[in-house]
Amino acid sequence: MSDENKIVRRLNDNTIEVSMPSKLGYERIAMESSASFAKIMGFMKDRIEDLKTAVSEACLNAMEHGNKGLDDARVVVTMSFENGILSVAVKDEGTGIGAFPEEPDIEKKVQNLEPTNGLGVYLIRKLVDQVEFNNVTSEGHVVTMQMKLSD
Amino acid sequence: MDQVNTTRVEKRGDVACIDIQGDLTASSEPFLNDAYAKACDCGTNRILFTFDPDAYINNGGIAILIQIIAEGKKRDQQIGITGISDHFKKIFALVGITKFATIYPTAQDGLNDLAGPD
Repeated sequence: MSDENKIVRRLNDNTIEVSMPSKLGYERIAMESSASFAKIMGFMKDRIEDLKTAVSEACLNAMEHGNKGLDDARVVVTMSFENGILSVAVKDEGTGIGAFPEEPDIEKKVQNLEPTNGLGVYLIRKLVDQVEFNNVTSEGHVVTMQMKLSD
Repeated sequence: MDQVNTTRVEKRGDVACIDIQGDLTASSEPFLNDAYAKACDCGTNRILFTFDPDAYINNGGIAILIQIIAEGKKRDQQIGITGISDHFKKIFALVGITKFATIYPTAQDGLNDLAGPD
């Protein structure tokens, strides 16, 4: 199989790349790859579960908002581990997040005063140690999440 | 990727039990709404959702559950949830679902509690 057809590639000893079509459902490949990668690096199960949800939500945002649902666009997830820190960068072909959703208020959602969706960014912020949005380059928009390996 | 949930609705005592197999995502909407409608037809205001412990749950699925909880609040229903993993118990608490629905360790615990006096 040629490199361009591979979804998961090992870039070096500490870096894995997942390049996937912008289709709902494929986020699970990135999610499971990040879980396997974190497990190899020594992360505990509960942190791996947090990472899986954060990666899934970042990929879904990339597909739905960054790539605007275009099937031929790609989402590229690069995960690396260095100095006890696992980093996951999720790149889409968009121009970044214009307006961040407000922190969700379940009371308002239940009263139909705010949409019931829009929880992704909130969950990412709650589940990883550090996150940076809106790193926009000529290649697209990148969200970078970091998680520290506990002693 | 199409997703199919398998749902079963049955009345156990005074509780309408909705068993949902499969992942909880935006694609679950018709399955959950259909099961919820059947539960509402059971003639009780006590509803227990049992999810698949291995289910993948994302923001889209949580949004559907919040819509149902909102509808349940309008109908003055008591809603319980069981079967979810510890991770998704944490997620449900983070987004506030636990303010409106009680999460039970087991289905039997849910049945016992929901079947109690109002």
